[in-house]
Amino acid sequence: MGTKRYKGIEKKQARWGIAFVVPALIFFSVFNFYPILNAFYTSFYDRRALSKLKPKFIGLANYVRLFDPARADNPLSFYNSLKATLTFTVGTFIPLLIISLLLAILISNLSSNRAKRFLQISYYTPAILSSVVAATIWMLIFDPRGLGNQWMNLILNTPGVDHKWKTDPMMLQISTMLVYFWKYIGYFVILFIIGLATIPSTIYEAATIDGANKNQTFWRITLPLLRPTVVLVSIMAMLQCLKTFSTQYMFYTNGSTRAPINVITFNIYITGIQDQYLGRASAMSVVLFVLMLVLTLFQFRTTKSGENIDY
Amino acid sequence: MKKSVFLILIIALLLPAAIFAAGTKDQAVDETKPVTINYWTHDDAARTKLENELIEKFQAANPHITVERSTRSAQKQIELVQTAFAANEGPDMFNLPIENQYAYITNGRVAPIDYVAAGFKSKQDMLDKYMDGILDTVTVDGEVYGLPLELTNWAIYVNKKVFASAGLDAEKDYPRTWEQMADVSEKLVIRDGDILVRRGFDFRYPYYLIMFVPMVEQLGGSLLSEDGKKAIINDDAWIKALTFMQEWGPLGRNLGSTTYQAPRYLFNADNNDIAMAHTGLYQEGRMKTENPAFFESDDWMVVPFPVFENAVKDVASAYYGHFFMVNADSDPAVQKATWKLIGFLLSHGEDYLTRGGNLIQPTKALLASDTLKNMPYSEVFINDMARANMVYYGSDSAEIQTQIRNAVESVMLSGESPQKALATLRSAVQEIIDERR
Repeated sequence: MGTKRYKGIEKKQARWGIAFVVPALIFFSVFNFYPILNAFYTSFYDRRALSKLKPKFIGLANYVRLFDPARADNPLSFYNSLKATLTFTVGTFIPLLIISLLLAILISNLSSNRAKRFLQISYYTPAILSSVVAATIWMLIFDPRGLGNQWMNLILNTPGVDHKWKTDPMMLQISTMLVYFWKYIGYFVILFIIGLATIPSTIYEAATIDGANKNQTFWRITLPLLRPTVVLVSIMAMLQCLKTFSTQYMFYTNGSTRAPINVITFNIYITGIQDQYLGRASAMSVVLFVLMLVLTLFQFRTTKSGENIDY
Repeated sequence: MKKSVFLILIIALLLPAAIFAAGTKDQAVDETKPVTINYWTHDDAARTKLENELIEKFQAANPHITVERSTRSAQKQIELVQTAFAANEGPDMFNLPIENQYAYITNGRVAPIDYVAAGFKSKQDMLDKYMDGILDTVTVDGEVYGLPLELTNWAIYVNKKVFASAGLDAEKDYPRTWEQMADVSEKLVIRDGDILVRRGFDFRYPYYLIMFVPMVEQLGGSLLSEDGKKAIINDDAWIKALTFMQEWGPLGRNLGSTTYQAPRYLFNADNNDIAMAHTGLYQEGRMKTENPAFFESDDWMVVPFPVFENAVKDVASAYYGHFFMVNADSDPAVQKATWKLIGFLLSHGEDYLTRGGNLIQPTKALLASDTLKNMPYSEVFINDMARANMVYYGSDSAEIQTQIRNAVESVMLSGESPQKALATLRSAVQEIIDERR
């Protein structure tokens, strides 16, 4: 009897649970499942944006074209997009991870709450700006007559030098990384601060009593216990970097050359929207999806995030 | 429990298909029923003011028609219209540059003109009223698919004060050739180290089909062979034009670059930061609004598009058009009402020229009118148009322009050799035209 009653309550509770989850599921289905499935499907077809004709099934031809070695020489090829995406991701995600962690530790160790709050808000502010607004601000800074050259020339004592922020291929890549770094650093600092707050202070007290110095505390206590947050931040940062688009788009529309910053998402946009090859753009999206999936699984494996941390 | 969760997940997966499969447009024909026309166009303050006024009059005369006009930036307009059409949700009426718009005709997305609704007696009556050949651009299999909102070409605006400050007399010393353009710019330019504080002239990046391809044509080259099957004709011409751009850029004589502010946005301010800008007749209207004193002064003039010293052809900057078109999937009653609106708007050509953004609508009446002739330097634009070609407007034009941009910018900014850039360009453009055929 008692078991039966228990099951009834559980069922009743589950129904409410389902009721609360259904709206989110519907939303997710319409705006995520459908586009994902549709992109997979479309990637096997020669579908043009404006054509009213029935798309022609072409099997793996879109994928074969993407990885055709004969096209690798063209700076706008998919090969070069992969290269540009990986360069951007490595160049942005690693500094983002390390510096956000260091800043979080610095802020967490401040004794003044007002200073803590001020720094948290200061670092987080760029994250609430739209990417377009952020890129527009930086466009002005990177203008040849803008603050970028003025600051660099002041620091390096090189009056009149144009550092070609938006034109030289390497500087252009660095510029897009800088914009992205500035925009997202605050977000990851906040995540690390939350992660640091979950480590019980008693562990630090015990370590202090045992005579551990700050360096030992960081490497032996903080970093191991922060591992779940590090995994979370590293995966989120990496996925964000792989999906970068608006920064590159703004640079391109402001006159920068495309090849060095032709990341996969930007190539998808040009191929699908401007050139109207929806099938080909879908194949690129699928490759990006697989790339993100593989790198995420790889990170999970290498960081062994499945292991629980017990205090 | 597991079953119900599974069921919900399946429903969630199928739901989008049901939603996206729903509903097609009502195809009923009823000319008297109230209709709403969705008209999408690009930003232009002067034209918006005029069209809002005209639309108000049109609605008063046609109470069953409501016009919903919306605007956005020119670039956004290109993307939004295409995305909407791809989802079968395109506007009833829209305009785009012809190089972006032509694909709508070839893909059956737009309806042929309803001559009578647009206010003409017949097709011939309409053809007789427009500049010879201009509607060929939008004619496929004998059907005409659009009417021109504007036909635009660009010439060179010159600030005489900047010339004078460099010890030059603009009237005598303005550049007639590209070689002179580089030399005169060298005299006009002011640098702070490598940084250009004042430029003589700079190109209108990234409109390479409009300004760069004609430079190649001057030297005897062309984008495609006459039969349209072969890309990049006459390597010498292309290499010479690419070399000129390389010398122009920061790795050469450092006279300009793609990332400085566009000259046409600087010219009207008369702030001693640009001497020459490549832009259209519409610039005069903007100048008049933004800096009336400069507009009224004798400190500026307009001169023709230069040619290379050893040019084999006298070709000016290409002209392009924006056409009004009507969505073929719109309700027939809406289509009819839309052509009526287009006919009404375009019957005010002189208003568009004088207070609607200085737009030239290429009707014979307007081209022969004193209103056009009396506009400052309009003869320069008319003469340049006579020695120009229509911009390349195939359905692949945007893709080809991207490849030309890559070639020019790789030599200007990345130090690529013109030969290598040309080889890459040729293979990319050849592939594009092969795919389209």
